[in-house]
Amino acid sequence: MKKSMYVLLGLVFVSLCYLIFISANIVFSNDIALPKAKKQTDSRYRLVLITRDMDTTFWNKVGKGASRQALKEGASLEIWGSYSNNSEQFLKKLELAIHSKVDGIIIQGLDTDEFKELTKVKAAFNGIPIITVANDVPMKESLRRTYVGSDQYRAGGLIARQLLKDMGTEGKVVLLSDEQKEHYHNERLKGIYDTLRVYPNIKIHNAETAESKDQVTTTMRDQLNQMPDVNGFIAVNAKMIGPMVQEIGKRSQVEPYFIYTFDDGPESLPLFEEGKIDGVLEQDPETMGEVSVQQLVKWLNGETVPLDINGYFTNIRILKDKRNE
Amino acid sequence: MNSIRRKILTFTTIVIVIMSIIWIALTFYNYKTQVKYNDILNRYLILSDVSRSSNQVITDLNNYMNQSTPENLKKLEGSKKALETSRYEVFKVRNEVNDFTLTNYIHLMGSLIETIDRLMGLERDSEAAVKDLAETTRISNYISEMTLTLIDMELKTHEPFYRGIMEQSIELVKLAIWMVLLTSLLLLLATYWFSLSITRPVQQLTKAASELAKGRFDNEITVKSNDEIAFLAKTFDHMRTNINNLIQQIKEKAKLEHELQQNKILLQESHFRSLQSQMNPHFLFNTLNTLSKKAYLEGSEEISDLLVSVADLLRYNLKQIDRSVTLKDELMVVNQYMQIQKARFTDRLQLKLDIDDSCLDIDIPALTLQPIIENAVIHAIEPNINGGVITIRVKDLNEYVAVQIEDDGIGMSEENITQILMERQVKTAGHSTGIGFSNVVKRLRLFYDRDDVIHIESSLGSGTAVLLKIPKQRGEMHD
Repeated sequence: MKKSMYVLLGLVFVSLCYLIFISANIVFSNDIALPKAKKQTDSRYRLVLITRDMDTTFWNKVGKGASRQALKEGASLEIWGSYSNNSEQFLKKLELAIHSKVDGIIIQGLDTDEFKELTKVKAAFNGIPIITVANDVPMKESLRRTYVGSDQYRAGGLIARQLLKDMGTEGKVVLLSDEQKEHYHNERLKGIYDTLRVYPNIKIHNAETAESKDQVTTTMRDQLNQMPDVNGFIAVNAKMIGPMVQEIGKRSQVEPYFIYTFDDGPESLPLFEEGKIDGVLEQDPETMGEVSVQQLVKWLNGETVPLDINGYFTNIRILKDKRNE
Repeated sequence: MNSIRRKILTFTTIVIVIMSIIWIALTFYNYKTQVKYNDILNRYLILSDVSRSSNQVITDLNNYMNQSTPENLKKLEGSKKALETSRYEVFKVRNEVNDFTLTNYIHLMGSLIETIDRLMGLERDSEAAVKDLAETTRISNYISEMTLTLIDMELKTHEPFYRGIMEQSIELVKLAIWMVLLTSLLLLLATYWFSLSITRPVQQLTKAASELAKGRFDNEITVKSNDEIAFLAKTFDHMRTNINNLIQQIKEKAKLEHELQQNKILLQESHFRSLQSQMNPHFLFNTLNTLSKKAYLEGSEEISDLLVSVADLLRYNLKQIDRSVTLKDELMVVNQYMQIQKARFTDRLQLKLDIDDSCLDIDIPALTLQPIIENAVIHAIEPNINGGVITIRVKDLNEYVAVQIEDDGIGMSEENITQILMERQVKTAGHSTGIGFSNVVKRLRLFYDRDDVIHIESSLGSGTAVLLKIPKQRGEMHD
């Protein structure tokens, strides 16, 4: 009786000690580390990458390349931007970046007056260098330091040559382009025109439309009505490829048409995988990110002054659907 | 000596120390958490302060633009200063996570201040001024937005910390409960043992006391403890031993008194008897004298002499029975007795004397030798037709005088000798009373207060020798 009492007391004692040990461990542990306070920022340069198309495959890749390079250069980089081509938010971010006096801005060029006003006046006033990436705005209008991205003129030419290769030198081609007439669109169009101009039997019709899905659908319907015997389509603005293919699909088979576009639209690559597009011009967004940061840091360090005004071009190539051959 | 008090003091001190440790630990923990809380709150306050002061600047700026009074200017200067102050405060908030945004934030404030300064230098209502005013508003909005972003960031980065604090506070309550349980348990046990260490000796002492009260003085009182109770128990035990000894003494005294009483009664009885017995001999003595005169008158001189001897013997007997006499007197009586016996046994009885005369003054109880001689005559001479020889020797042996009475009769059995030496009555053949011999033994032993005063050597058929060792120095008791 007495012994069992002792055993019971011992057990209670030990278990209480154990519970206290566990609780005390949790209570007195300091393992929740707060972020370390800093007196001074370490990185030499604060860079911002601003786009209008956050969270698309293309821009994610640009961001990835840029971040990697920034880490290598010891600069800190943040990616800002707006979603779904929202220019208002985009410009606000740019203004914010300028007022925040960052050391450099890498930005997706926007061919509007507001954009040019901000880059030309405000950024230049504050002495902040701007590099356009992927989409260029002419230097005269924007006072950008340089451009990093694909040579859009050559890209247009490549697409046109691929069209010739597939379709031959005869036929009707519809170009679907933005009515906003951005600089890089113009370059692409110029490239396409310059290539196809040599072949008189190829008829080109440039259909300009707004970017919204309804507008694209309407324009496509009109084009197909007006030219039932069209042979090929080129979506100069890659964002239009989705509604375009959809509209064609409503009428007939997509197969007989030669359809081409660029890879900076969200639907370009998925449609190409499905085999609905005959060719996609693939750019190199990761390299764009990398080179833009690299050049910007070089400029900031004073190693390359001035930067190449024409820009640093990254690789482009045609992705061809092999199944149609 | 004050060990119970010391025990209580020690116990209380330990309890107080344990409680204090727990209290201090908890207070310290609370203090630490408080400091952390304050840090975090301070960060939020700094951020919200920036937002507020930037708004204030804009309000004051607009007021000043509307009415360029000195008061408004003063107000504007004040709020601008406040903004600058909070701009420096913001540096404290910087950490790894918000480094980039915070730098932007600080520069934004810088931009705001710059723009305001520029605006002040411009002419009022000019195009540039209007534009700059709009810009300040925009920058202020950016600041507000970024404040929210930063606060959001703070919340995100501190989230694990908040959760940790919440978990810790829950755990703290648990810890407190366990602590209370454990300390209660320990205190309970300690109190139990502690009180036992005081009450157990008291209980033992109480039990011992009740044992004593019941009259059992033999159980030793032991209390295992090292405090006052043990001392008490020791003293108590000492008292018990003393009482025990006293009781023993009283018992012994009572026994002695009882024996004394018994002896007194015996003494009185014997005194009475001796008085009684003195009556007859006087009558006999007178009669014997009459008989002696009658025998002399009738011409029987021998009988007359015999009767005179008997009367002398009787007188000696009556006179000397309570006193000590000398050996010489005794031997004289023996002589008279032998003359009487010779009248009876004539030549059959021979008495040989071998006496050292220097020893004759020694004290000896009266009628010591006569009964022994009588015994010898009865046992050695009477049954033997040829008679026998009785030899009496007196020798000086330094410390004592040896008196030997020897006969050549039939001897005594071992059993009889033992009986005599044990001072018992011996049933003997013939007319002897049998009292005589053992009476002698008893008296000799009483007189000299020693047991070895008489020896008997005998074997059946070869005579008996009785040896009396009479010390020259008598025992002090009878003086």
